[in-house]
Amino acid sequence: MNSHSVLNRTLLAVAGLVLLGGGLLVLTGALDLYRRWNLEPPADWPLTSPHDTIVPAQDRTRWTDEGWWWPTVIAALAILMALALWWLLAQLRNRHPGRLPVGNPPCDGVELHDSALADALAADTARLPGVHTAHANLTGQADHPHATVDLTLEADARPRDVLHALESTLHRARQSTGWEHLPTRAMLRVSPHRPHRAE
Amino acid sequence: MTHQPPAVSDPDPEPPAPGRPPDDAPPPTSPPGRTIAGPDHAAPRWWSERRLPAAAAALLVLAASAFTLFDVARVRTGHTAAAWRKTLADELATRPIDDPWVITGAAVAAALGLFLLVLALTPGRRHLLPMAATADPDGPRAVLDRDGAARLLRDAALRVPGVSHADIRVRRRRINARAQVTFRDLDTVRTEVTGALTAQLDALALAQVPRLTVRARRHGP
Repeated sequence: MNSHSVLNRTLLAVAGLVLLGGGLLVLTGALDLYRRWNLEPPADWPLTSPHDTIVPAQDRTRWTDEGWWWPTVIAALAILMALALWWLLAQLRNRHPGRLPVGNPPCDGVELHDSALADALAADTARLPGVHTAHANLTGQADHPHATVDLTLEADARPRDVLHALESTLHRARQSTGWEHLPTRAMLRVSPHRPHRAE
Repeated sequence: MTHQPPAVSDPDPEPPAPGRPPDDAPPPTSPPGRTIAGPDHAAPRWWSERRLPAAAAALLVLAASAFTLFDVARVRTGHTAAAWRKTLADELATRPIDDPWVITGAAVAAALGLFLLVLALTPGRRHLLPMAATADPDGPRAVLDRDGAARLLRDAALRVPGVSHADIRVRRRRINARAQVTFRDLDTVRTEVTGALTAQLDALALAQVPRLTVRARRHGP
């Protein structure tokens, strides 16, 4: 799991907990479950009776006369809005490593652009037997790039053989860049085709 | 990737063979057998980034906070509050919580919250079948699309003489194959289809081989 996934999943879990907790709180009070099941809610527990309202008028106006209330509300809303905007924009951008050092130890003054390596990987992979088309992408940071390769296989391909061939392609990529590791994920699809009987 | 010099004193311990990929040295794997998912070949599922639900949630929070902020600021500058805010505040203050609308809303919120929790805690990407890791620890981690696996298996089943039509359903732990047989003995064809699918499943190199069920049915005159 990358950091992006961790962030999204954490925030989704928080949102889910808030919605689930709020919904259950209202439902428990509305269906009068505290009384039916002989539960004793803690003191000052909200929404214990079916006749309660979610935000009573006296709660809503409790602090509205205080001088700090509206600046606080506006600041809180502005912060929430900014965080939501940042979270939304984070979904739209793909992190590419940009310029990558080449060689082991890295040669000064020689850099490889991530898209160049991705194009080379894709071209190399597309030539493997059984591969119809290939797309490659580099993500992550410049000192830890990750490669993703999307392959569409021919109808008569053997995924096991394609995977072994891809292994040597990646080995060659590591040799030509001088890197010790290039973690790679490959997604194999099969091109849609009519039923294909020939061996 | 690390850029420290390698532990060996030789700065280039593995000179690349010019012009030739090193694929003439096959990795030391055992001959293809049925059990490719050994304990050391564990291939975890890929975890989705959950971009779409995250974007939807972010958009909702953004819209709600933006509208509220706008209206609060309007009221602070001497305008009257928007009608939606007055109505919302009024409803929240007057409707008892055993009102059907409030109960419905609370139930929907709870269900949505549960759904978001499931999204946050499960890997997703159910349409991808992890493939067995290669012997090389630096090798690729691969997945095979379920539809693609079904297409390859269908072709394998159709190569069996007598099979006119094959319907393959690939699920994560089970594969259901139904073959329509036009000629030859039904049991023989079923056995051969099972053999062909088992061989093809081996070629798919899945980390966890789904259980295969083959049914054959007579079709035509």
